[in-house]
Amino acid sequence: MEKEKLLEIKNLKVKFTTERAVSYALNGVNLTIHKGESLGLVGESGAGKTTTALSVLQLISKNGQYTDGSILYNGKELMGSAEKEMLPIRGHKISMIFQNPLTSLNPVFTVGEQIGMVLRQHLGMNQKQALERAKELLETVGIAAYRVNDYPVQFSGGMRQRVGIAAGIACNPELLIADEPTTALDVTIQAQILELMKRLQKEYSTSLLMITHNLGIISELCEKVAVMYAGRIIEYGTVQEVFHHPMHPYTEGLLGALPSLDSDKSELTAIPGTIANASNLPDGCRFHPRCVSCREQCRKQQPAMVQINDDHYVECFAHEGGTV
Amino acid sequence: MFWKFVLRRIGQTVIVLICVSIIAFLLIHIAPGDPARIVLGDSATDEMVEAYREKLGLDQPLYVQYFKYIGGIFKGDLGTSTSYQQPVAKIIFSRFPNTILLTLATVLISLVISIPLGIIAGVHQGKAIDFFAMLFAILGQSMSTVWLGVLNIYIFAVKLKLLPTIGTGGLEYLILPAITLGYPISAQVTRLGRSGMIDVLREDYITATLAKGIPSSKVYTKYAFKNALIPIITIVGMQLGVFLGGAVVVETIFSWSGIGQLTNQAVGNRDYAMVQSLLLVIAAAMAIINLLVDIINAKIDPRITLQ
Amino acid sequence: MDKKIILRRMRKSKFFMVGCTVVVLLVVMAIAAPYIVRFDPEANALAEKFIPPEGLTKGLDGHIFGTDQMGRDIFTRLLTGAGSSFIIAACVVVIASVIGTVLGLVSGYFGGAVDTIIMRTTEVFMSIPQIVLAIAIVAMIGSSMPNLILVLVLTSWTSYAKLTRNNVLVIKGQEFVSAAKVLGASKLRIIFRQVFPNVTTPLLIQISQQFGMTIMVEATLSFLNLGIQPPAPSWGNMIAGSRQYLTTAPWTVFAPGVALMITVLAFNFLGDGLRDVLDPKRT
Repeated sequence: MEKEKLLEIKNLKVKFTTERAVSYALNGVNLTIHKGESLGLVGESGAGKTTTALSVLQLISKNGQYTDGSILYNGKELMGSAEKEMLPIRGHKISMIFQNPLTSLNPVFTVGEQIGMVLRQHLGMNQKQALERAKELLETVGIAAYRVNDYPVQFSGGMRQRVGIAAGIACNPELLIADEPTTALDVTIQAQILELMKRLQKEYSTSLLMITHNLGIISELCEKVAVMYAGRIIEYGTVQEVFHHPMHPYTEGLLGALPSLDSDKSELTAIPGTIANASNLPDGCRFHPRCVSCREQCRKQQPAMVQINDDHYVECFAHEGGTV
Repeated sequence: MFWKFVLRRIGQTVIVLICVSIIAFLLIHIAPGDPARIVLGDSATDEMVEAYREKLGLDQPLYVQYFKYIGGIFKGDLGTSTSYQQPVAKIIFSRFPNTILLTLATVLISLVISIPLGIIAGVHQGKAIDFFAMLFAILGQSMSTVWLGVLNIYIFAVKLKLLPTIGTGGLEYLILPAITLGYPISAQVTRLGRSGMIDVLREDYITATLAKGIPSSKVYTKYAFKNALIPIITIVGMQLGVFLGGAVVVETIFSWSGIGQLTNQAVGNRDYAMVQSLLLVIAAAMAIINLLVDIINAKIDPRITLQ
Repeated sequence: MDKKIILRRMRKSKFFMVGCTVVVLLVVMAIAAPYIVRFDPEANALAEKFIPPEGLTKGLDGHIFGTDQMGRDIFTRLLTGAGSSFIIAACVVVIASVIGTVLGLVSGYFGGAVDTIIMRTTEVFMSIPQIVLAIAIVAMIGSSMPNLILVLVLTSWTSYAKLTRNNVLVIKGQEFVSAAKVLGASKLRIIFRQVFPNVTTPLLIQISQQFGMTIMVEATLSFLNLGIQPPAPSWGNMIAGSRQYLTTAPWTVFAPGVALMITVLAFNFLGDGLRDVLDPKRT
C-alpha cells in the first residue's frame, strides 16, 4: 500500500552567487517523504543537505537562487510562494532544528520567549499562556520548568539543543527537519538527544527528515535513507536495503569508511579524493573522478535514477540493467 | 549577578575619576611658571600669591598638595575664577543646565533619525535607501562641527531666515546647535545600525526565527533590532565624549551659554582654576554617562553579566 | 591574499577609487604648494580685500577663490594651510598608531595586570572628551606645532590600543596561535609573526579614518585659536577669522569649510574603500 506523500521535491536546482564564483549547490534533487515516515539524508559536508532543508522552508540566503524544480507540500507548491503563504507552514506544519545550538538561539532573548514566539504566532496564545506551555515543553525535553526565564548562555550545548527541539515540536508539526542536530555535541550528549528525538517522534507521530553524515544515527532513527552527493540524490531506499546492499560506489565507500565494533573487518577504506567543488563540477556523473569503477560513459553523461526493486533506487551506470 | 556587575562597574568608575582628578591636579603643574601665579593671574599682588601658596601648600610634597586639592573638591571648593572673581563651582553649576538641555536635544534629534534609518538600510542592503543612508552617514562623519555650524547658520538663519542665529533662549534657539552637534552622532549611529543589522541578519538564530514562521517585518523590528542595538549603545557610549567635546565649538559658534562656551572663554581669559575644574567636571559627567550606558547595555544583553 | 583579487576589488570599489584619487591629489597639491601659489599667504593687502572668487571669470590668473578680510588670496592660504595640516596629521597618526598598536598587542596578548593597567589608562583618557583635554593641555603649555602634535597623539592613541587589543583577543584564541605555541615559538615571535599580521587590516582602515579625524580636530583647535596661530593660515583659523563676514562675503568661510569637508570625506572614502578591498568578510 502506497502511503500518502507529505513532501515531494522534484528536480530542485539552487545556485549561490558570490564575488568569486557561482556555486551550484543543488543540481536536480528528487526526494519524497511520506506521512509518518522518517527519512535520513546523508552525505559529506557541502553535498547540499542544509540547502535542501532551507529550500523546503524557502529560506536560503539572499545570494541564493532557485533555478528550477518544485517542492510540493501536501500537493501545494511551495516554490516561489509569497512570505504570507509560507508563514503558517514554517514552524507550524514544518519545523526545523538547526545544526549548531550555540548559534541558533538568539542570545538576548530568554528560552521561554524563543519557544513562546512560535506558540503566539501559530496557536494564538497570549504571553502568559505561551510561557506556561513553554514550561511544559521544557519539561518534555528534560529541562526543569523554572529555567524558562533563563538566557541561552546559561545552558550547555546539549541543553540548548533540547530548547531547539522544544521549539521545533511546540506546534506538533507534520514534518520535523533536523539538520545535523547532534554534530556539534559531545558523544554522550548525542546519544541523549537522539533518544529524546526517537521518543518524541513516536509520541507525536511526526514525519522526520534527519540530515546527518553519521550513518549510525540513520540506522537508529530512520526507515528510509537518501544518499546525497554534489547536489543530487544518488541512492535511495529503505535503510535495510541500502545499508546491506549498497549499489552506488559512493555509498559503498561511505559504509566502508565506517568503523564497526562487532564485525571482524580489519581495515577501513577511505574514499579517494575530496568532495566535488560546487563551483567547478565535473561533467557526467559528479562522482566519476573519485569512483573506483569509473567508465568512459561516466565522464560524459549524467546517469539516470534506476529502480533496483520496490525499496531501492540508484543513480549509476553500473546498474542500468535494473538488477544486479 | 546583575548587581555584582553594577557594583564592579561603579568601582571602575571611581578609579577612573581618581585618575582624572590626578590629571586635572597635574595640569596646573605642567604649565611653565609658578602654579600660584598661574592660577591667580597677572593682576594678583605678591601678597595674594604668597597667601595662595600657603593655602595650596606648594612647598609641601606633591601628594600632600593633591590630598588638599581633593579635600577642597569634597567641600565643594573648586577655587576662585580670576575672570569672574567668583567661586568656580558656582559659575560651572549655573551653566550646567544649559549644556544638559543641549545634550538631551542633541541625543533625541540624532537618535530619532538615525536608528530607523540604519536599521532600514541594513535590511535593504544594496537598495536605494541603503545608498541614501550611507551618503547621509559618510557626509555626517566628514562634517567638522566648525564647518557644519557655520553652514547651518548660513542656510537656516542668513538665507532662509527661519531660525535665530545665536543666543540662549527658547526652543528655537536650541534647534540649530542640536542639529550641528547631532549630525555626526546620527551619522555614526546610522552606520552602526546598518552594519549591525547586516551582521545580525547573517546569524543562524535569525534564520531559525524565520523558520519558526515569524513574519520578517517582526523579526527585523523586534528580534534582530535588539541584537543590533547592542553595538550601537556600546560605541555611542564610548564615543559620546568625542561628540560632546564638539559642544565647546557649537556653544561658541551659537553663543549658547553652557559649559562648552565657558571652557573656551576660560582658556581665552587664562582662567586656569576654571579650566582645571571644567576638565574635572566634564570628565566626571562623562564617566557617569558611561556607567549608565554600560548598565543599560547589561540589562539588554545578558551575556555581559552572565559570562 | 591574492594580489589579483585585491587589484580587482580596488577597481571595483568606488569608495576606494574616489578616496584614493582625491587624497593623492590633495597631498600632491599640498606638497607642491610653494611652487603653485603666486601670492603671499600672510601679507595684508587691504586694498584688495573681499574680492569675490574670480576662478570662473579670470581663470587661474586672478584670485581663484577670492580674497579675505585682509585682502589675502584665499586659494594661496588654503594650500599653505593644507601643508601644515597634513604634516601635523601625518606625524600624529604615525606616532599614535605605533604607540597604540604596541600597547594593544601587549595588553591583548599578555592579559592580566598589564592588560588591566593599560585598559584603565585608555578608559581614563577616553572619559575626557578629546577636544576638552586638548584645549586644557594647549591652554597650559601653549600652542606650537610640536605641542599640537603631542596633544593630538595623547588624545588619539587610545582608539588604536582598544581596536588592536580586541582583535588580538579574538586571534589569540585561534588554533594557529596555539599551534605556534606548541611548536615552541617565543612570545615576541608569536606576537609579531602570528598575531600582528592578522590585525593590520582593521588598523589600516582605522589609520585612514583617523587621518581625516585628526585634520578635523586640528581645524577645531585652530578655530578656537588654540592651534596654528594667525597670521599663519589653517583651515580652522580661516573659518574663525572670517566667520563674522559670513553674510557679506560667504566665500571667505565656504572655501576653507568645503576644503575641510572634501579632505575628511576623501579619507573616510579611502577607509571605507580599504574595508571593501581588504576585509573579505564584508564582500
